Amino acid sequence: MIGLFLPLAFFSAQAQSPTDSPPTPEAVAQDLPPLLVEPALLDFVQAPYPTQAEAEQREGSVRLLIEIDEAGVVTRVEVLEPAGFGFDEAATEAAKAFRFTPAQDATGPVPVAIEFAYGFVLDRAKVEGAAPDTAAVEADAPVTLEGSIVEMGTRRPLPDHLVRIDVLNLETQTDAEGRWSFRGVAPGAYTLRVVHPGYDTLEKRVEVVAGSVTNARLWVRNQSYADPGILGTYRRETDDVTRRTISMEEARRIPGTFGDPIRVVQNLPGAARAPLGSGLLIIRGSNPEDSRVYVDGMYIPYIYHLGGFESVINPDLIDSVDYLPGGYGPHYGRSTGGTVDATTRRRFPERNEVRWSTDALDSGGLWLGSVGKNNQHGFGVAARASYIDLILPAFLDEDGFSVAPRWWDFQAKYQYQGDRPDKFSALAFGFRDTLLVSTPTGYAQGTDADTQGDIATDYSTYRFGGTWDRAWGKQWSAHVAPSFGSDEAALDIGNSFRLIQTRYTGEVRGEVRYEHDEHLAVVGGLDAIFGWAAFEVQLPFNPAQFAEIDPLAEREPYSLTGTATGWGPDPWVRATWKPLADPDALALNGGLRMMYVIIPDENEVLAFDPRFSFRWQATGTTALKGSTGLYHQPPQPFQSYRPDDKPAEVGAEQSWASSIGIEQEIGPAVRVELEGFYKDLTDLIVSNSSFGTLDDSYYVNTGVGRAYGIETIVRHEPVGNFFGWLSYTLSRSERQDRPGEDWYLFDYDQTHILTAVGSYRLPYDLSVGAKVQYTTGNPSTPYSLGVYDVDQDTYSAFPSGAYNSERLPPFWAVSVRIDKLFTFKSWQLLLYVDLINAFHGDNPEFEQYNYDYTEKTYFKGLPFIPSPGVEAKVEF
Amino acid sequence: MMIIYIITACDTESMAQSWQVDRLRVLAVAATPAEPRPGDLVTFDALILSPAVPVGGSAWFVCSASASSEFGCEIDTSSLSGASADEIDFAALQAAGLIGYLPDLPPVWLVPPDFLDALPEADRLEGTFAMTYITAFPEVEEGAEVAEEDVEIAYKRVPVSLAQTPNRNPGFAGWSVDGFPVADGATVRLDPAQAYTIEARLADDAVETYTFRTEAGKDEERTEEPYLSWYLQEGSFDQTNTLYPFDEVVYFAPDQPTLKSQALWVVIRDRRGGMGWGTLNLSFDVTEVAERQRALRR
Repeated sequence: MIGLFLPLAFFSAQAQSPTDSPPTPEAVAQDLPPLLVEPALLDFVQAPYPTQAEAEQREGSVRLLIEIDEAGVVTRVEVLEPAGFGFDEAATEAAKAFRFTPAQDATGPVPVAIEFAYGFVLDRAKVEGAAPDTAAVEADAPVTLEGSIVEMGTRRPLPDHLVRIDVLNLETQTDAEGRWSFRGVAPGAYTLRVVHPGYDTLEKRVEVVAGSVTNARLWVRNQSYADPGILGTYRRETDDVTRRTISMEEARRIPGTFGDPIRVVQNLPGAARAPLGSGLLIIRGSNPEDSRVYVDGMYIPYIYHLGGFESVINPDLIDSVDYLPGGYGPHYGRSTGGTVDATTRRRFPERNEVRWSTDALDSGGLWLGSVGKNNQHGFGVAARASYIDLILPAFLDEDGFSVAPRWWDFQAKYQYQGDRPDKFSALAFGFRDTLLVSTPTGYAQGTDADTQGDIATDYSTYRFGGTWDRAWGKQWSAHVAPSFGSDEAALDIGNSFRLIQTRYTGEVRGEVRYEHDEHLAVVGGLDAIFGWAAFEVQLPFNPAQFAEIDPLAEREPYSLTGTATGWGPDPWVRATWKPLADPDALALNGGLRMMYVIIPDENEVLAFDPRFSFRWQATGTTALKGSTGLYHQPPQPFQSYRPDDKPAEVGAEQSWASSIGIEQEIGPAVRVELEGFYKDLTDLIVSNSSFGTLDDSYYVNTGVGRAYGIETIVRHEPVGNFFGWLSYTLSRSERQDRPGEDWYLFDYDQTHILTAVGSYRLPYDLSVGAKVQYTTGNPSTPYSLGVYDVDQDTYSAFPSGAYNSERLPPFWAVSVRIDKLFTFKSWQLLLYVDLINAFHGDNPEFEQYNYDYTEKTYFKGLPFIPSPGVEAKVEF
Repeated sequence: MMIIYIITACDTESMAQSWQVDRLRVLAVAATPAEPRPGDLVTFDALILSPAVPVGGSAWFVCSASASSEFGCEIDTSSLSGASADEIDFAALQAAGLIGYLPDLPPVWLVPPDFLDALPEADRLEGTFAMTYITAFPEVEEGAEVAEEDVEIAYKRVPVSLAQTPNRNPGFAGWSVDGFPVADGATVRLDPAQAYTIEARLADDAVETYTFRTEAGKDEERTEEPYLSWYLQEGSFDQTNTLYPFDEVVYFAPDQPTLKSQALWVVIRDRRGGMGWGTLNLSFDVTEVAERQRALRR
């Protein structure tokens, strides 16, 4: 009863077809930036079959987390899911002796952590005592039984899978195309058995007929269809001491986000809850417009479709999203708030993959694939369109009013995946959103004759950009990312109001990196931008009348058109010094950025931003980190503009931001971070209190502010079947508009922000996730009664307290998401339902007063909304 | 789904509505002449309603545009502080801008002859405005104080100019109920839970044509674009504002009127400071309603 063991990790010494193919780890880490080359197993070490397990005829699979350094050497092995009976120890010891090819990203070899399933299976023939029917096998005989192994749902050929005929004690492995064959199998009926970790064991009866070759295609079912390459952890030292990365695996399964990775950022520490799912990024007490969103390094001014429900980039084309609430290096700039940097796919599948998805908002398709020699040209194209305008009429009264929001977007990505030293990629995307609100004839749209008619908004963005990466030896490397595009926004109200802005923007982000040795690296770069803008304003009145506050004054139509150009080179430099013998022990980062924005004849802003950060790996699992630096942000274009052609009187806003924190690893997948931050805000742009005529600048830099707090996150990385985090932020953000005036709470100040997110992958491709959110209510200003303006038929409100001196009641809600994947032979179907606010409080979003401010109620947050969706996927 | 929610969830109907007259309200104020010249004598009329408690009176102040804020006149009330009714210094109040105290002293304002002197000559055609500040209060028992929340405060601008075609208040000619003409102030008997088309008929000369001199010095002939605001006690309208030439609404009578006699009102604003209004008295014969209900139940 002595059984031979068969390690189920693709490398059996008894295999008929020896292979040097690398393993495909179930879970390969992917984080920042995306891996271009995954680690490949060079040396597999066979573990001895545990005596106890062998005696008890037990089989098992041990799920390991293996950390691999830049040289491909295994540095750490931990058991994620034990199997007991001696399997864990045997698998751990064997895995420590594995050797891999190094994983690589755009900067070269990087350390990674992967998941690995080490399986043990008994030799059935030995166990069952069946003597091999050697008479049925002739060693040099022709092939009599052959076939292929294909993954159900994806139709992907599966290499390195073991095929056994137990009664003959024969086995073989599939080749790179998933093909297998047996020679000299005598005529008769046999049971083929396919065993592989992560896949259901398949047994199929076949019959070998004399004089012919029996062909069998074996469909095996993956136990988990999570996308390869997106599970696991990946950590890399960076000069951005607070960079939190969301993988798409996480983004897709978080309730209440429509699977949108950029909206997921709002659930991380330091990010306040956006009102009514607006998608506003309110990071560490900064105004929404103070934070920037990039896609592959391209700045995107409008990142959300109408209503802020989902971003303008198809989530399936995004690899990961980095969230930097503060303390980032000089390579990011022109903002005093946080930064969100989305990275699109850098690896595309060898086989074509087509997806079609539909949810409550829109419907769209995606095609991914690779072409050329060795699949060196990867591509992805995607497009979506909303259909909410077709549904809305069912929910509105049939009284002639109509609301028609529409949007569409597209993306196309090319990635060179070959072996040449020059790496290229190109990305083109665009979107357009329109909203038309129509009022039937005879119905008043307010009381102003000039506002009668339809209201139409229209905004769009188009971008085309590319990247080029190259390394010269081990010390020099370069990255260049030029882009060009346009943004247009238009608003029409009735026949008299019209605002149009068209902007063309060119950007070049580039950097040259010199790595002297493992202790010193210097990077210099440019973040250059050039813009040309045209605008058209049509109003039924002269804006100068605002200064006189006379609603009865006769109006004179006013129109203004103009163009403006602006540019800024923004060079920066950064050095990383690792002074200790162990280069991973301490990293000191220093950098300087020059912000120089020129709008000829209107404004010129110059500022220097020195920034410093450190990271000290105090122990193997504990790191301290900190940062301090200046951040400047130029005025918004409309703040710089003066209709009288005078130079603008507003300059850059400034933030001096500092942070100190600690990271503690607890086990292979759990990490705790605690970070305190303080931001001193100066030169904030506010309205000019002495504005009287158009000779006065409407904006001045007299505002100041401060934001401070503590944020923490306990995060379980997407390792194994679970991921999730618990994040909490305690903060306060205040403003003072003019010297001597009272300080007041920032409009979106939320003292407590608590978010718990978790998702668990159950058997049968079912996953369940939940999100619990609690936040302090936003500040509000109390009003007690109003004074009636007889001429305008409106009431002016008397504030009964200071600005933002009260708060709305707190917000809390629980959302749930359930995903179920159905796998058919040649395609897959994902059904999901997002139960948004399955449990929730009253959740006031803002106050509503009655006409004379004597009564108050709340505009409440979203009710329970079940939002279903479906996605079909086929590979070919 | 969220878009649908946002579009359909803007519901403030649980609170008092501006078109529903259920408390002391100043709905309209008209100055005559509507656009005086310096030295003119201006009289005032107001549509002040209080369905629950009789109107006790109203105090009227006037101030120049420069002495006003977004809440009306900034009045120095130090002369009123701590003073009993007998001790109030009437002269000090007049100095503070008091021009009337209803019902005893009808508001009258003599436009100072130098009112426009501070303006450049070219701006005097357009002119500027004076602010009228009205405080209406309900009737209270002798010796009782008026609660602050029971007071209605309103303000109205009175344009003062040398306009070539000074503004006049729009005249109101009467009503039409389901096509039948009804005089202003008349009473019509309506059935509960019924819809009626109510038309407010403006006087023939209500919509004026006037001359406006632009910033460039060019004279333009312009026509007023008045709008009508509708008010009631019970029931509802299909819309509460209409813009001329649309001058009718659908009135949905209450299912079960709590008041046998009610009214609805329309206020016409010509957007140049001119104002007019009309009243339509409504009668719901409660006895007849009860009879109908009994008949239905049988």
